[in-house]
Amino acid sequence: MNAKANKNQVTCIEPDYYQAITEAIRKEAVKILKDETVVGVVGYLPGRRKGTASPALVTTVEEAEKLIFSPACVNNLSVYLTKAKKGVLKQGKVGIVAKGCDMRALAGLMTESQLQREDLFIIGVVCPGVYGFGVERTGTLTEANIARKCRECTVHMPEGADVAAGTHAELADLTPEEAQEMARIEAMPQAERWAFWKEHFSRCIRCMACRQVCPFCYCEQCLCDKNRPQAVESSPRPAGNMAWHLVRAMHLAGRCGGCAECERVCPMDIPLNLLNRRMAQELKELYDFEAGLTPVDKGPLNQYKEDDDQSFIK
Amino acid sequence: MSRIGVFVCHCGENISRTVDVEQVAKAAGEIPGVAFSCDYKYMCSDPGQTLLKKAVAEHKLDGVLVAACSPRMHEKTFRKAAEAAGLNPYLCEMANIREHCSWVHEDRDMATAKAKDIVKLMVERVRKGKSLAPITVPVTKRALVIGGGIAGIQAALDIADAGHRVVLVEREPSIGGHMAQLSETFPTLDCSQCIMTPKMVDVANHPNITLFTYSEIEKVDGYIGNFQVTVKHKARSVDESKCTGCGICMTKCPKKKIPNEFDQGHGMRPAIYVPFPQAVPNTPVIDRENCTMFQSGKCGVCAKVCGPGAVDYEQKDTFTVEDVGAIVVATGFKLYTIDRKPEGSPIQGYGEFGYGTIPDIIDGMTFERLASASGPTGGKILRPSDGKEPKQVVFIQCVGSRAREKGISYCSKVCCMYTAKHTMLYHHKVHDGQAYVFFMDARTPGKGYDEFWRRAVEEEEAVYIRGMVSRMYQRGDKIVVMGSDIQVGVQVEIEADLVVLATAVQPQDGADLLAQKLGISYDKYNFYSEAHAKLKPVECATAGIYLAGACQGPKDIPDTVSQASAAAAKVMTLFAKDKLERDPVVAKVNEKYCVGCFACKKVCAYGAIEEKEIRDRQGNLIKKVAYVNPGVCGGCGTCQATCPSKSIELDGYTDEQIMAMIEAL
Repeated sequence: MNAKANKNQVTCIEPDYYQAITEAIRKEAVKILKDETVVGVVGYLPGRRKGTASPALVTTVEEAEKLIFSPACVNNLSVYLTKAKKGVLKQGKVGIVAKGCDMRALAGLMTESQLQREDLFIIGVVCPGVYGFGVERTGTLTEANIARKCRECTVHMPEGADVAAGTHAELADLTPEEAQEMARIEAMPQAERWAFWKEHFSRCIRCMACRQVCPFCYCEQCLCDKNRPQAVESSPRPAGNMAWHLVRAMHLAGRCGGCAECERVCPMDIPLNLLNRRMAQELKELYDFEAGLTPVDKGPLNQYKEDDDQSFIK
Repeated sequence: MSRIGVFVCHCGENISRTVDVEQVAKAAGEIPGVAFSCDYKYMCSDPGQTLLKKAVAEHKLDGVLVAACSPRMHEKTFRKAAEAAGLNPYLCEMANIREHCSWVHEDRDMATAKAKDIVKLMVERVRKGKSLAPITVPVTKRALVIGGGIAGIQAALDIADAGHRVVLVEREPSIGGHMAQLSETFPTLDCSQCIMTPKMVDVANHPNITLFTYSEIEKVDGYIGNFQVTVKHKARSVDESKCTGCGICMTKCPKKKIPNEFDQGHGMRPAIYVPFPQAVPNTPVIDRENCTMFQSGKCGVCAKVCGPGAVDYEQKDTFTVEDVGAIVVATGFKLYTIDRKPEGSPIQGYGEFGYGTIPDIIDGMTFERLASASGPTGGKILRPSDGKEPKQVVFIQCVGSRAREKGISYCSKVCCMYTAKHTMLYHHKVHDGQAYVFFMDARTPGKGYDEFWRRAVEEEEAVYIRGMVSRMYQRGDKIVVMGSDIQVGVQVEIEADLVVLATAVQPQDGADLLAQKLGISYDKYNFYSEAHAKLKPVECATAGIYLAGACQGPKDIPDTVSQASAAAAKVMTLFAKDKLERDPVVAKVNEKYCVGCFACKKVCAYGAIEEKEIRDRQGNLIKKVAYVNPGVCGGCGTCQATCPSKSIELDGYTDEQIMAMIEAL
């Protein structure tokens, strides 16, 4: 718990900070399993390799005592409620370990009737950040190995959770790499920007990992798998790739919680979160909407207000 | 392989003038799956329809495309013809090569090419089309009439006389509307009250009419044949079931100097009041803004003197939900506020006329009250400032109306006639007086109208001056009216004792808000829009809602009554059926793939989407999906555009059809 406030120095969050969160999660998980508040807890267990963690559904007190939280706990666990372990909610109330960005996904899923708040026990994590990808995944979290999204995180405090694990760490101001990259792309002439994305999308192999990991891609039949009529070409060719990524970005507009899981799992390193963030920026400018930690009645694109900005209609 | 027939219409010369229809028909014949194509001068005529029917039989057609005008115009016509020929009517589609093509283009070659493209893609839509069966919905044979003026009263009486139940809702404490305020009516000069009040009594006594005065429409749900309307009953502070209408409360009320709205503020009324002696119902209402009891909590005189104990200071607004099958909107008009620019309105005022600052400049309705036997002066023409009889009166027409630069470009229609009437009433009452009228044109179409106007000019000595007034100001106790006589070409200055402005007719305040509740359209002035200016003048584009009177546009009493009876006839036509057939162009949910995000429910403007539970045989919930109530669905397709997984589709406009159309291009 000795985060350094000086931005000229490298951020460093010691492992014992995460250890404290781990203890808090274990205590809470054991408690709610023991008193049968929940039938299971979705959390993280240590991975087989050192410095890794793997998502897990624990249903016993013994297992719950093994739960951890570390900078390697990168996954957004909300997909385990809607897609990966869909049946679990039918058994009863479920506990879930959620970072701020995961909480936004949970809130969005509640807005879209996929989850009910009363079915969940949310163990919110006061998360100082997680590892980025392709970095050294051991020891302390430093400016060198923190994930890009965490540099600009605004939801360290998981407000609205049933309990919060951890205490607020003092965090250094980090270079907003993502914002800088967005500004750089925005400044490009249109043709160059088009070429930039065309190049990125042309490398897409259509493994659909971005879709599978996304908490909001919960459709049972994706529009892109539909073949009568076919809306998006399914083989990995430039035109279909472009169509897929545009559909993905558009479908996430006004919904995406910014967990950046799509970008993390992309084997071709396509900077997908930049697209998501650009759409979010658009929604902020047009409708003053930001994905939050609590569900809303109607998302910004599902409602009409008389004073809606109409300037985009040309 | 499909066997589609393509029928290209010339529409007289409307289409053939700019589109080479023969070429279009020939090109259509070459599209794979088109078994027959031809062109004809008037496809919608009887020989044209016969041609279509014969071709269906002879060429064993399984789909029909008529390339002609807008489907709004003739889709029904051709679908009926196709049905008569043995086809499912929904396998007949129209390609609009008139509004979308010939009317908007000049270059013949390019217009022809575009017409061919339109036909080509519509052939694909027909090919992917499916047979549909109409949906039937029950009809509640009870009508709602909004507005208790002459339009609403006439419509309510006609429907009620036909044996159907009617709910009449009026915003004010009494029915009667503007007609009850008028003195005498053109062109026969019969007393307005004498012909109006018996009708008001008929409404009150009619066994089929439920009358809600001092009430407003809060919310409208449902659809044709099945509306649920929430009515807000504003607190009257007087229990209608107990009040006997004796009027003692009004005579004893200590606060008597409140300007009476019914007399345009020129008479006085107490805080507990009925708007006028002939009011229906004859139940007073407490004006809480002006009542001492409500303002300071001390008084209570009316409650003390009321024998039956009907006065209730604690009364609250109540709400009821009325089930009705049809709605007649008859909310009427108001007169243009001329002294200043209303806030947030594009309409400019007439500050230069001094209305509102010079007391003897009044509007037409105030003159009606001065001339009325029941008015504040007992029917004597006396000017408001000093109560003297005016010897020179100037009437000014078209104040607000036909003044594009002031924001209103339409003609208010009734002013020419009522100004002529005013000059006559004035002449009848002040024999030595002189009336002057400033006018642009005298518009007098209507039975007996021009004769009436000529009588005002020729026999009743009104001086008509063609020209407009530029300015008016007070000099001593006179009003100086400066204007121009454009026929003689001179400036005119008249010293008048009284000036009457024929101000524009505008829709009632809140007309737009009511329209939004009802889901009907209105124009830029807030007049309600009819479905078709010529052929559907009393219907709204929203099924089951009809228009009557000046809420649709300025109208005199004969026109209003005609339209009200027409609207009533439309309601009776609807009520003649027990079940309604509805177009089956409604959305359907693919329950297999619906994940129940209910984005469709959130965007549905008709409230047609519900949540449906899917359970297994043991009754365990499998999932929740969207369900479209076909009776409520308006077929707009917003849900289809919103559904992220494309699990909801509009019959007749399926994704498959649309994609095939795009690919055909």
